[in-house]
Amino acid sequence: MKTLYKKSVLIVILITLFTTASNAQISKAEIRATGLTCSMCSNAINKQLKAMPEVKNVDIDLNTNTFVVSLSENNSLKPSVFKEKVENAGFFIGSLILTTNSETIKSSSYIVVEGKKNNSIEVQIQILDKGYVTDKELKKLSKSYKNSLTYNNNNENDFHIKIVN
Amino acid sequence: MNIKINLLAFLLLIFSINANAQVKVGDRLPSLELQNSSNEKTNINQFKDKYVLIDFWASWCAPCRLGNKKLVKLHAELDPDKIEIIGISIDTDPNKWMKAIEKDKISFLQLIDSKGFDAKAALLFGVEELPSQYLFNEKGILIKKNPTEEEIINLIK
Repeated sequence: MKTLYKKSVLIVILITLFTTASNAQISKAEIRATGLTCSMCSNAINKQLKAMPEVKNVDIDLNTNTFVVSLSENNSLKPSVFKEKVENAGFFIGSLILTTNSETIKSSSYIVVEGKKNNSIEVQIQILDKGYVTDKELKKLSKSYKNSLTYNNNNENDFHIKIVN
Repeated sequence: MNIKINLLAFLLLIFSINANAQVKVGDRLPSLELQNSSNEKTNINQFKDKYVLIDFWASWCAPCRLGNKKLVKLHAELDPDKIEIIGISIDTDPNKWMKAIEKDKISFLQLIDSKGFDAKAALLFGVEELPSQYLFNEKGILIKKNPTEEEIINLIK
């Protein structure tokens, strides 16, 4: 019994340590979806997002046609999850803006191609890769970043970002 | 006598379970009370012995607004003793709803359940996209989802 108690204390300590260590995370995602039909007129994206355990709330901004997704603390979600969910619903991402702590974008998966890193705790970033912008924008971006070593590789684990705020 | 009561209770139970799920072809028009555009409570199942067309929409839904134009025309052409057209908006902002009614010159019954796709009415009917239409016959049975204008006209005439 005593060892069981000790074990559970250890587990709790480990979990606490682990969660504080992994504070690199996304707190909010603003998704504009595109498709053949009106994305706001379908419940599909909403449903896909709400089914994620990390999603606290989905608000719909009807003036900008944007899904505003609030996420729980200490999640380890990657930007690709939003692309996946939107595409599962039968739509595409027109733009994806994430609010994240500045620690997150220090990771090697994020490559800043526009905007400057600043000292604030939270940053807003836009993902500029294929599948995260409209086709029209992608054409423009591919030209602008044709000298980038990584942009046109379309590696799905690299996220080229613009710091919006 | 007892068996009859039991059977009735059983049928009622089945019906109430059904009423919580989405409405399917062959199902009866459920009882549902919503606010109309004059702020009065209105039940969607009060229209007896006539067809009922229920149209789910919202002011921000562009295809619905186009649909409204067609419905207004259809409403003017059809005999009001034979069919009742009911619009149910899931607008979260009632002001935008009222403005849309005015702009689209809708004169048929308009109700609102202002909670988007989470609205009780949307869940009851199983509305997953806008616009969505449900046509009930004069006995109150759902005969067609998203009927065409032609189908409606042929049925009513």
